[in-house]
Amino acid sequence: MTLFTTGADSLKVVAIGALQVVAVFAFAPLLTGIMRKVKARTQKRIGASVFQPYYEISKLWSKDEVVSDYSSWVFRSAPWVVALATITAALFIPVFVPFSPFSAAGDVLLVIGLLALARFFTMLAGIDAASAFGGIGTSREMMISSLVEPGLFLTIFVVSLTLGGTDLTSLVGAAARSGVVIAPSMLFGLISFFIIILAETGRLPFDNPATHLELTMVHEAMVLEYSGRSLALIEWSQSTKQLVLLALLANLFLPLGMPTSIDVGLLPLGLGALAVLAKVALISVLVAYVETRVAKWRLFRVPDLLTVAIASAMVGMIFFYL
Amino acid sequence: MQVPLSEVLTLSSVALLVSTFGVVVRRGFAGWLSAYRYQSVVLAGSTAVIAYATGLWEIYAAAILTLVVKAIVIPRLLVRVTESVKDEFKIEANPYVSIRLSLLISALLVALSYGVIHETLISANLDVYALTYLPVSVSLFFIGLFVMVSRRMALNQVVGLLIIENGLFLFTTALTQGVSLIIEVGILADILVGVMISALLLLRMSQTFDSFDMVSLESLKDD
Amino acid sequence: MNFLPMLLPAIVALFIAGALLPLAFRDPRREAVASFVPAAASSLLTVALSASVLLSGSALRLSSPVVEAIPSMSLSFYVDGIGAFFMLIIGLVSTSVSIYSLGYSGAYSGKHSIRALGSLLNLFVLSMILVTATNNVFSFLLFWELMSLASFLLVVYEHEKETNLRSGITYLVMTHIGTALITAAFLVLYFQTGSLSFDSFRSAAGQLSSFTKGLVFVLALAGFGTKAGLVPMHIWLPEAHPSAPSNVSALMSGVMLKVGIYGLVRVTLGFVVPSSPGDAWMGLLMVVTGSFSALVGVLYASVEHDIKRALAYHSVENIGIIVLGLGLSVVFMSFGLQSLAALALLASMYHSLNHAVFKGLLFMGAGSVLMRTGTADMNRMGGLVKKMPWTALFFLVGSIAIAGLPPLNGFVSEWLTMQALLSSYQVPNVVLQLSIGFASIAFALTLGLASATFVKLFGISFLSRPRSKAAEEAIEAPKSMLAGMTLAGSLCVVLGVLPFVATSAVASAFGFDIGLVSSYAPFGPLTVGYAANGLRSVSSLSMPQVLVITGAVGAALLGFVTVVGPGRKTVTRRYTTWEGGFGALDERTEYTATSLSQPIRSAFRSFFRPHTSVKREYYSDSNHLIKRSVSVTSETREVFEDHLYSPALRAVVAVLDRVRRLQTGRINSYLLYIMVATISLLLLVVLQP
Repeated sequence: MTLFTTGADSLKVVAIGALQVVAVFAFAPLLTGIMRKVKARTQKRIGASVFQPYYEISKLWSKDEVVSDYSSWVFRSAPWVVALATITAALFIPVFVPFSPFSAAGDVLLVIGLLALARFFTMLAGIDAASAFGGIGTSREMMISSLVEPGLFLTIFVVSLTLGGTDLTSLVGAAARSGVVIAPSMLFGLISFFIIILAETGRLPFDNPATHLELTMVHEAMVLEYSGRSLALIEWSQSTKQLVLLALLANLFLPLGMPTSIDVGLLPLGLGALAVLAKVALISVLVAYVETRVAKWRLFRVPDLLTVAIASAMVGMIFFYL
Repeated sequence: MQVPLSEVLTLSSVALLVSTFGVVVRRGFAGWLSAYRYQSVVLAGSTAVIAYATGLWEIYAAAILTLVVKAIVIPRLLVRVTESVKDEFKIEANPYVSIRLSLLISALLVALSYGVIHETLISANLDVYALTYLPVSVSLFFIGLFVMVSRRMALNQVVGLLIIENGLFLFTTALTQGVSLIIEVGILADILVGVMISALLLLRMSQTFDSFDMVSLESLKDD
Repeated sequence: MNFLPMLLPAIVALFIAGALLPLAFRDPRREAVASFVPAAASSLLTVALSASVLLSGSALRLSSPVVEAIPSMSLSFYVDGIGAFFMLIIGLVSTSVSIYSLGYSGAYSGKHSIRALGSLLNLFVLSMILVTATNNVFSFLLFWELMSLASFLLVVYEHEKETNLRSGITYLVMTHIGTALITAAFLVLYFQTGSLSFDSFRSAAGQLSSFTKGLVFVLALAGFGTKAGLVPMHIWLPEAHPSAPSNVSALMSGVMLKVGIYGLVRVTLGFVVPSSPGDAWMGLLMVVTGSFSALVGVLYASVEHDIKRALAYHSVENIGIIVLGLGLSVVFMSFGLQSLAALALLASMYHSLNHAVFKGLLFMGAGSVLMRTGTADMNRMGGLVKKMPWTALFFLVGSIAIAGLPPLNGFVSEWLTMQALLSSYQVPNVVLQLSIGFASIAFALTLGLASATFVKLFGISFLSRPRSKAAEEAIEAPKSMLAGMTLAGSLCVVLGVLPFVATSAVASAFGFDIGLVSSYAPFGPLTVGYAANGLRSVSSLSMPQVLVITGAVGAALLGFVTVVGPGRKTVTRRYTTWEGGFGALDERTEYTATSLSQPIRSAFRSFFRPHTSVKREYYSDSNHLIKRSVSVTSETREVFEDHLYSPALRAVVAVLDRVRRLQTGRINSYLLYIMVATISLLLLVVLQP
């Protein structure tokens, strides 16, 4: 499907795509709020409202920024690069509707590349402020990301073998058509992808998003120096990335209720979107629950878990071939 | 008195070989120098025989040259240059291969050269001179080489070199009887100069290092 | 164009002028100009030559017999597509480097001879260009050797440092081992075809037995792999590239390694044409060696704190990726999967071009830093982004490119390689599929580590605070150096945003239909099709469209941020970094390169086997409680040097020691050898039937 399909359809298509991204951007903090609420409830606390992240973002939005004078333009521009990369990546992923109008321009490998670009700049920002905390975060993130990449790539490999290719629209469409694939390869891929998502979004046992202790923080350490609107952008991008990855998990591995193509009319599309929302919410509840059950792992045990993800995807691949 | 050619040839080759053994058997510088003189005379004689048989005047000239240079000039030169060298450097007291054993090995080498020459050149159409003298010359070559290998004293190795040269000279003369005189003169001059230089060097060596012993000279090796 | 045949002699003449002219001058600045301006001009002509060959699609043939009587000794030149493509790589990089050298040679004025640097550089580039243009074994080896010798002399340019001499010797030995293997490969072909000309090799390609093919391939892989820096023949790379002056390192890393790849491509695709499934093992060998090489290279790069050594190890990694792509192409070719073979070959060759450009850029940046701070140790740099803003920008561009991040060129070639790996399901052999699957794990691991390493390289060298006085007092590099870097940097951007340029060049060079992998339009996407199990899809990547989309998103974001502005007027205050209330921070509290890579070193410790030794010094031997000093040394050793080369060298030296006993120093024994040899030969002649 090219960027501009025939006639008025193309406008409809692009509009739906753009709307999808806006929806993603808008709903992302809600997901974070849900996760925090679930964690609080399982810990026998009442917890903040699910809309708390929105309040935090708007609070940060109107605050002054304090910028370290040791840092450079890399530090100032990193939040913008991160936001830009994450939102652009979201454009290529079919989140609420089973297609993305921009699939002709990029596939899942481009998405991974854009997310890697965001991570690259975040890591640089950690070093830029010349604080030891930033260095802590960056060095840990370096190790974790270097092991997350092969796991991610291998999972894509398994998915692409089973569902065909790397073009996200066709992948999601194929998943919708075939329903939930109970094949060993897909199951192993699911396990691997779940672990990878925990690592990518900075959840326990990899990283604790609620801590600021130097012993335990990874992502928080890298963005420690940020304040005001830059911090708001970073937090928002992080939530967006989380929503997008969870939606990908849902759409590829658990495609119930997803319409199989775009030409089915507005009602089924809307229902499909709601289904996705429900699935994603459910998965985030699961993630939050998992978070309360585990503690943060020692940094040098983290590679073990990531190796589990890699091994699982490897087994999935072997199962497909044999 | 008509002496048959073949017998003359046989006689001369035997005389050459005997003279070579005579050189091998000597222990001292003076000893082998006189044996060498003797050998050179025999060599000149053999060359004269070839010259008489073929009638080429160049070979006569070569014979005379040989006589003069090898029997007279070179020995005189050597004696003069090594006058100041101490006697202990002139006596081969402890050669690598004992004198008796060297004699046996020389005999073996003679047999070897006869065998090799006959095997390889059996098909070539050689005249009687070549057939007689070629094996002799090859054995001279090998014996000279062997003498150089087995002598410990540097001075005594010069004799090996000279024997080799004799063998080569005989080889060329017997094989190509019309050998150009120029080449022969060249070879002789080369040998002359070579001997002079080695004698001088040996003199210098004895003065600097006070020893001609190969074993101690070996410590000069760059390790 | 009918002045095309004159281009090659013109190029040769200009380089020779550049080599000889500086000898006429005394003033370093004039020497620099006299050598590097002809070099730059000639490199531009090289680009023109290769572009015209690629655009016209026809090859160029020249010949100048050196010795009439011996036809195999003539210098015959044949610039076909493959040669032209590599010539393009050489020309592009050497243009940037020549311009860069105008300023860089200023670092050596007064200390070393700039004449030597200039003329050797000209000879070096010329020999590389001629290697890609030759058509017979004699001239190939002649120019190959010239290239090795010129680069050796350049590596030991700063000969007062003991380490440089050692790395030079290592390099010389390794490159000659490689040359010996290459010569062996050519000799095998010569015995098969009876001629030394490449044309005859090409025409005989179909009739070689599979044993011959395999033998030639293995010899060529080992020989050219030594020059290209494949593991385990790579040990000279991390020694030689840092020892050479930075402009030479840029050329060696960016271009000379590609000449090794050129040889490999020429032999594999031209002479040993893989055409049946029985040839797939050759591709598999390349895939395995390539992925192993990539992984080893990047792992060692990640723990280096010398910026040039790290870059050298990264070259090992990227060559591994190139060979991986080439191997995939061979595997696909053996099974007749033409479009996939084209894809893999495109990925590999695109990556060669990319690597040459961004590695050249990175080395040039490192050279500027080295020139201005006097050190290549990252632990003594820092804060350079403020002192050397342009160098920092170019280095950042190079880092993003080499990490394979969009929108630069590294991402495109990496996308192509990944697609080639993902397409391996079409190979009808399970063992091959699984092996390629494992190779993809290695590849992905490499990519992850590469971006981590470049975070460290760029971050520690340029960001945060200066860690030494030299870093504090650094100033920006001279304009000519910046100009050279600009050229390379813009190439990175162009090759990333307009893949069409490179893909059509490669397609024209190797003679396959571009439509197999990409669309014909300049702004069209790269496409890879998937068809199996009843599923069909097309993955496509269109960088220009991505850029447009990103621009739109950026505009929207900016609009959003402006519209949904803060409720009040915000102020951005500048203050020091938060230091937990302890007061002003010292630069010693910053992270260093070593500490940044410590988690990686620890996570991969079974590979690195780091050992730490602690030395304690006491004031008095009776009282061990009061220490004068404690020093901790932590090092990782190169596993190949320790376990492969050192034992081999020890064994060879032991054998040679025994042989040495033959050299007694006594004339008697030497004569004995002569005698024994003569007698044995005679006996041999006699006893032979």
